[in-house]
Order: sequence, then C-alpha cells, then structure tokens
Amino acid sequence: MFTRHVDKSLTRYSDGELTAVEERRIDDHLASCSKCRAALDEIQFSTRLMRQLSGVNAPSSVWNGIDAALTEWRNDGSAYGGTLPTGHVFGRPLRWAVAVALIAIVSGGAYLWTRETTPRPWEVAHTMGGARRMAAGEWVETDSSSKARIIVGPLGTVDVEPGTRVQLGQVRDSEYRLALSHGTISAEINAPPRLFIVDTPASAVVDLGCAYTVTVGKDGAGELHMTTGWAALEFNGRESLVPAGAICRTKRGTGPGTPYFEDASIALRQAVDDFDSGKDARRALEVILNEARIRDTLTLWHLLARVNPSDRQRIYDRIAAVAPLSARVSRDQILALDPDALRRWREELAWKW
Amino acid sequence: MSAGTPERRSSSGEISAEVVEACRRGDRDAFRSLYEAYKDRVYSIAYYYFHADSDAAGEVTQQVFLKLMREMSRFRGESAFSTWLYRLVVNACVDRSRSRRKDAFGEDPIVLERMATHASHEDLFAQREVAESVQQAIAALPAKLRVAILLRYFEDLSYADMATALNCSIGTVASRLSRGHRLLARTLAPMRETIAAEPPPKA
Repeated sequence: MFTRHVDKSLTRYSDGELTAVEERRIDDHLASCSKCRAALDEIQFSTRLMRQLSGVNAPSSVWNGIDAALTEWRNDGSAYGGTLPTGHVFGRPLRWAVAVALIAIVSGGAYLWTRETTPRPWEVAHTMGGARRMAAGEWVETDSSSKARIIVGPLGTVDVEPGTRVQLGQVRDSEYRLALSHGTISAEINAPPRLFIVDTPASAVVDLGCAYTVTVGKDGAGELHMTTGWAALEFNGRESLVPAGAICRTKRGTGPGTPYFEDASIALRQAVDDFDSGKDARRALEVILNEARIRDTLTLWHLLARVNPSDRQRIYDRIAAVAPLSARVSRDQILALDPDALRRWREELAWKW
Repeated sequence: MSAGTPERRSSSGEISAEVVEACRRGDRDAFRSLYEAYKDRVYSIAYYYFHADSDAAGEVTQQVFLKLMREMSRFRGESAFSTWLYRLVVNACVDRSRSRRKDAFGEDPIVLERMATHASHEDLFAQREVAESVQQAIAALPAKLRVAILLRYFEDLSYADMATALNCSIGTVASRLSRGHRLLARTLAPMRETIAAEPPPKA
C-alpha cells in the first residue's frame, strides 16, 4: 500500500518531535518508499555532522570588555542605561588572547614625565580633520590615504599610519595601553618603563622610554623597528630586548623572534629570519656565526637561550672572541643560562650595541 | 583556540530567579555568575554562525551580555530565561552580519588568515579537515537556516523553544531545519566516507 510522501515530517520524526501515532504513520510509509528513506538518510547524516561540532569556550578577554563597558556606564551614572556601545566594544578578543606585550625601555636620560594621579583620556586627531577625546574600547581606523595621531596623556604621541586599525585600551594608574590589530604605528614615548604598552596579536611591546614603529600584518605577525631607546618584546616568558637601530619580528603563537641590527649583512638578516622560522636552522646558525660583527653580539646573545647546549658553547665562544668576559661573569654561568649572569653580560655587551 | 572542548554544552539548567533579580538591581557579582553560566553557549553559537571567527564571536558575546544587562528589567519570565537569551544571540548575529555586509569588500581576509593558521597539529588534521568543512558548510547556509540548525543541533533547543527564540511557528522551525539538512547533506556528501561516524545500519 502506498501512502503520501512524508518528507515534510521527516525532520520532526528524526528529532523525536512527533506523537506516537504520527511516528507509526511515518514508519509505515518509510517501509515502502525509498525516496523518503533517502531523504531521512540525508537528515541523519547532516545531524551526525552537526553533533561533531564541539563547544568553544569564550576567552577571558570577552569578560574584560564587558567589565570595562559596565564600569564606563556606571561612571557615567547611567546605571547601565547608557548608550550601548555599537560595533566593537573591546572586540577581537581571541586575537589578544595570545598577545605579548611590546615593552619599551627608558633610555638613560632624564625624562620629563611626572606622575599624574588622574590619567588623561585619549585624544585623537585625524588628518581628514577633527580632533576629539575618545573612550577606552573605541577603535581608531585609518584608510589607505589618511593618518591619525593619538595623544597618550602626558607620555607622548603615537602616529597611526594609513591602513591601520588600533584600539584604545583602559587608562589605569597612569598606564596607557593600545591594541594594534593591523597596520603600522610609530610611537614617541618619554616615560618610565612599562607605562605604555602596545598589544599585538603576537606579542606585547612595552615602552622603556623610546621611539619605535610597530607593524602588524593581516596574519597577526609583527615587526618592531626601534628608532631611539629600548623596547622589550614579551610573550609567555620569552623576551627580546631591542635597542635603537634594531628590528625584531614576532609571530603569532611563538612570540618575539631574535633581534638584529638593520645594518647587519643581508646574509645574517636572512639567516636570523630562517632560524626563527625553523627553516634549516642549523645552516642558518652557521651563517650567523660567520657573519656576526661585534655589534651583532646582540643577535648572538639572544640566541644563547634558544639553542641546544653544544651550539650554545659555540655561540659563547664566538661572542667571547670579540668581547671577552669580565671577572663579573663566568663561562659556566653563561652556559648554564644563569639569568643574573646573562643580564650582566648583556649590560657589558650593550656598550657595543 | 579552544574549539575541541569535550563538553558540548553546559548541563546547568536555568539560572535562578534570585540571580535574575539581583542582576536587575545592578548586582555585578550576580551578573558575573550569569555570564559564567551562559558565556560558552553564546560564544559557541556566534563562533559557528560566523564561520569559526573568534573575533566576531567575542564581539557578539560582548554585545549580547551588555544588552542583557541593560534590558534585564524587560525580562518578565514569560519564557525561560535561556530562550530570551537565545533570542538576543540570534538578533546580535543577524545585526552583525548585516552591518558587515554594508562595508564588506568581498573576501574576508580574517577568514583566510584563520584558515592559514589552522593548518597545524598534523595528528588532528583529518579531524580538523572534517570540522573545517562542516563549519564552512554551516557558514554557507542562509542565515535563518543556519541559526535554526545551530539552536537545534548544537544547543539542543526544543522546537517550541526555538519557535519562541526565533519568533516564528513550530511549522516554520521544522521547515527551516529540513531545508538546512538538505543543503548540508548535499554540500558535504563527498565526506560521507571520511566521516562514517556511525556504522552503517544492519540490513
């Protein structure tokens, strides 16, 4: 006996949303209709696929954005009745989940900065015209032909180059924080260390009193160029110190690469990039050892902690050949990666950088 | 990326009336506990709605909870709290895709970037490939079908709750699911052999 096709009820049938009577009617029809059986098979196949999806945990940065907005509402006295921020509140959270801080280091000179108890709000001027105060969480975006300048309270300025997207962070205890999504910014900061931080997808740049340019590509990888002073790139305990005239690349997931001077030989610069990306690292290390000048002990010093013990010995010998150790540091300490000894040696070597 | 958490969905039931009431009074701790109870469900729906775009998922989750906090006083308890929440999620997803379409230049570089960074962990590659294809197929569904499929098979909502959340009849829910299934099954037909999640039915 043939009954009417039941394809319209098959999803409910498969999901157990039918009454027992209806179910029996469908069973009877399916027994004799291959077309409806094929339709049911499609539904069950698609359901199985959906069941393979796993839950995704919201990263903690999502709450941080909500928390910041609630605080802002409360400070406005609007008891959560304030304007709901549209678009991005503190968006792109996962992107920052792997953020490393790019920390700039204060240069030796006296800085004019004086600690202010009340942090100033962000001020942003666009070349297209108009300057205004902006709140934490807002984005500054430039298109391919415009630029913007961000006034970082009393600390300095950040120029936002064309094609850039950067988010203003909370200003807390005189700490100013930006998040660079992609594009290029140039910062000139005159402040004690760690008061100005730029989060990038692959690391954080912590200002130590300096001028620098940070570029972040669409893939989240970044490049830091130091103009004056020092900065530190940090990610998951991995740190690269970058002095004026040097470059450091940083990759999502692995963090800061090995810094090198812009005036190093092309072969050395290429070899550092290869080493960092794990491309024929052995050959790359040979090139670095051969090409290194006194100044390139910057690169060699950073590699000490990033190679195996036998290569570490070779790097140590190469540095010691051009810049012998003082009595303050022993060879054994360096080969054992003693943090204090490494720091002292770096301070001595830094005179050549 | 946290995709791949074994727990598909929270087993916790409805949030208590006391918590809802405390949120209405502006109690931040209560709001936090409400957030903790629902954040992963909200995030997951948005994550898959926007083709595994964690940025979009984070933004939508923030929007949903901020809106929730602001409109808490309008929740009268006539439907389950979660149904009301799902409605906010659906609206936030749709609003976001609308606003994006206006300024879209075509290809989404974020999607491409994400696909590029996903190619790791060789041991999980086959699994990832399946997951990626499923995500892609879901993202390609028309918005109404996509939402319906996610609420039903990812969140296990009943047809009645879906009808409330989507503001439509149960018949419409069934028809959207049915169309969604047909499209998914046909798009992913080449994967039938790869997946073989269940043994073939015995003859």
